Amino acid sequence: MRLLSSVFLIFLICLFCSTQVSADQIPGDAIQKELSFLRQSVLGLQDTVHDLNSTVKNQNEVIEKQAVRIDVLERIKEGAVPQVGATTLTPVGTPKLAGVSGFNPDIGLVASIQGNLTQNKADKEGNNAVALKELELNLAHVVDPFSRLDAVISFNDNLEDQNVNIEEGYYTRWGLPLGFTGQVGKFRSKIGKQNVLHLDQLETVDYPIVIRDFFGEEGLASSGARLQNMIPNPWDIPAEITAEILRGNNGTSFSGVSRRPIFNVHAKTYFDLTDDANLELGWTTLFGDENPPINGIRPPEGQDCYGVKVFGGDMTFNWFLPEGKKVKFQNEIYFQNRTNLVHVNDDPWGFYSLLDYRFSQKFSAGVRFDFLQPLDVVGEHRQTIGISPYLTFWQSEFADFQLQYSRLEPANGSDKVDNALFLKANVLIGAHKHPVQ
Amino acid sequence: MKNKMIFLSIFLCLSLCFSSSKLFASDKIRIVTTTSTIADLVRQIAGDHADIYYIASPKRDIHFIAPTPKDVLKVKKAQVFVHSGLDLEAWRGPLLDAVGRTDLMWPSGDKQIDVSKGISLLEVPTSLSRSQGDQHAYGNPHYAMDPVNVKIMGNNIAEGLSNIFPHQSANFKKNADDLNQKIDEKLKGWTKRMSPYQGMEVVTYHRNWSYFTKRFGFMIIGEVEPKPGIPPTAKHMASLINSMKEKNVRIIMTESFRESRAPAKIAEATGAKVLTLAQDVGETQEGKDYISMMEQNIHLLEDALAQRKEVK
Repeated sequence: MRLLSSVFLIFLICLFCSTQVSADQIPGDAIQKELSFLRQSVLGLQDTVHDLNSTVKNQNEVIEKQAVRIDVLERIKEGAVPQVGATTLTPVGTPKLAGVSGFNPDIGLVASIQGNLTQNKADKEGNNAVALKELELNLAHVVDPFSRLDAVISFNDNLEDQNVNIEEGYYTRWGLPLGFTGQVGKFRSKIGKQNVLHLDQLETVDYPIVIRDFFGEEGLASSGARLQNMIPNPWDIPAEITAEILRGNNGTSFSGVSRRPIFNVHAKTYFDLTDDANLELGWTTLFGDENPPINGIRPPEGQDCYGVKVFGGDMTFNWFLPEGKKVKFQNEIYFQNRTNLVHVNDDPWGFYSLLDYRFSQKFSAGVRFDFLQPLDVVGEHRQTIGISPYLTFWQSEFADFQLQYSRLEPANGSDKVDNALFLKANVLIGAHKHPVQ
Repeated sequence: MKNKMIFLSIFLCLSLCFSSSKLFASDKIRIVTTTSTIADLVRQIAGDHADIYYIASPKRDIHFIAPTPKDVLKVKKAQVFVHSGLDLEAWRGPLLDAVGRTDLMWPSGDKQIDVSKGISLLEVPTSLSRSQGDQHAYGNPHYAMDPVNVKIMGNNIAEGLSNIFPHQSANFKKNADDLNQKIDEKLKGWTKRMSPYQGMEVVTYHRNWSYFTKRFGFMIIGEVEPKPGIPPTAKHMASLINSMKEKNVRIIMTESFRESRAPAKIAEATGAKVLTLAQDVGETQEGKDYISMMEQNIHLLEDALAQRKEVK
């Protein structure tokens, strides 16, 4: 109404002015004054309209909130929404009503419980047992408009090494020059495909033998800095490059001396073969030091600085079948090139091949083949060969159970063939992020 | 000297690569959408001015998409990112983290468009618990199955694009109005064709069809899944079969990417018909755009319901 009156008033003023101008021939400066007055009036009216719009918008928001609340109350009354332990009638996910709890970090907890049965009598007590292999606490949230913080803290209940471990804890800064993303802190190193994954994300109950032998029982995770980017190109071929510098105290292939860093460069590319199949190829190069700490910073005579070089290639083929079925074929191969004074074998190498078939919503099955010519073989080169078929039951997206048999022929001739059976449960609650791999 | 030359060559190569995206950039607006349905709406609103790429294949379950390096590259180069908002695309956050562009992040990025703004959501939970299955915290996100909501989505796209490219806003607005008009005309026909079957009871595989059934007046008496996202169990299927027999329910609505054994088993026990309907544009050969997809869904449903009526 007020708006209508204002418009009517402007109209009358305009009409009055126009008639005055034509009738009385007002001098130029008077016209200017009138125009200035009218301009001011119009600006004032525009402000009024703007205020009115804001009021209407605010009122609409209030009405919207009330409508949501009424809708929820009505549906509860009709019994359409069961209240499981509900303490509030507020729709929990409505962003506007989320309140300060929205600032809390995403929290998730993953439990990996594993039972082992091994044939090898040399195994210690802990190997034939059921244990909470890992309880993994995930905390993550955006820090500010430019960055986020992620932490993964794991608790182990193994008989011999019950401990707390910072698996990852890193700060990510987006939007660096040329579109780079930077990360500092402790993280799982970008080596091939499986090293990046946490234990509960693997298809099998353990990491491939080559990863365990070259980088540690749970792969290589270390403190350091990482830069990552997609290299733009006119052909739109995805080409990702990652460069890392890591503290050298982790990774079984390297020195174990913090002051001797490990350098890692990983490059990968990706192709869509068809609408339902794709192929990813990657290459990893690591440089590190093997120098034993007794000599301090100086390498022993005859041995180069950064004398351990690890080269690796990875290939993953995904084939999506109808009805949510999927085949995955993944391979990683690693070679070491060492100026070796400590170990007998100066060019160890190994690979694994994994074939995984998700044949229903509830089940997947697969097999992993491992081959390794390890670092610490006495005498002639010998081989470690493993084969591990497995079956996974997916109770839901948040709970799965794995049954795996592993047959391992160790490199050292004196050790017997080991047959092992694993039963593992992965259970997660809360928020859980699966980074883009 | 040799090392210097190598470093210089690498630097030059990288510089060329990073600048190449600008050298080879086309005049079209680069838009990435999460789903093929949103991509279709964007195509209709932005017209020939846009180069559109969508991430989730309509032939796979939208909840479990794993973005690829190609998706990361496309989003990294995008001028606009259009998505469903809410929590339908649980993979959207990790994708945008990998891309590392805050201007595309939900909800505050100024180059992202959330098409769910202003849509009245169904099944908004009052409390969250995984005992209720894979719950959606903000409410049911499958709102695009209601053509009226698609009009809102279209308006959101036009408004969002106009904010980012104000010089083309008149064009976007006109195209959105045209789309709304087309949907209004079609909706009249669809409503008329479905009106004889109002109040009819159906079973769905997942809660994808809540908006659709509400719009056309069907009643969902149960789902093949015991809870959202939980695979069907024998006990639940037995109970569902009993309910269907009691109420003489003859239609099971599912999607092409779902497993077919459980619905087939239920259909065999009850004499119901399994209808595989499209959720997203391109899921079936007939559904090349939103209107033809809905037309096909209505056609299949109409046929099945007419047969059921004859049987009765």
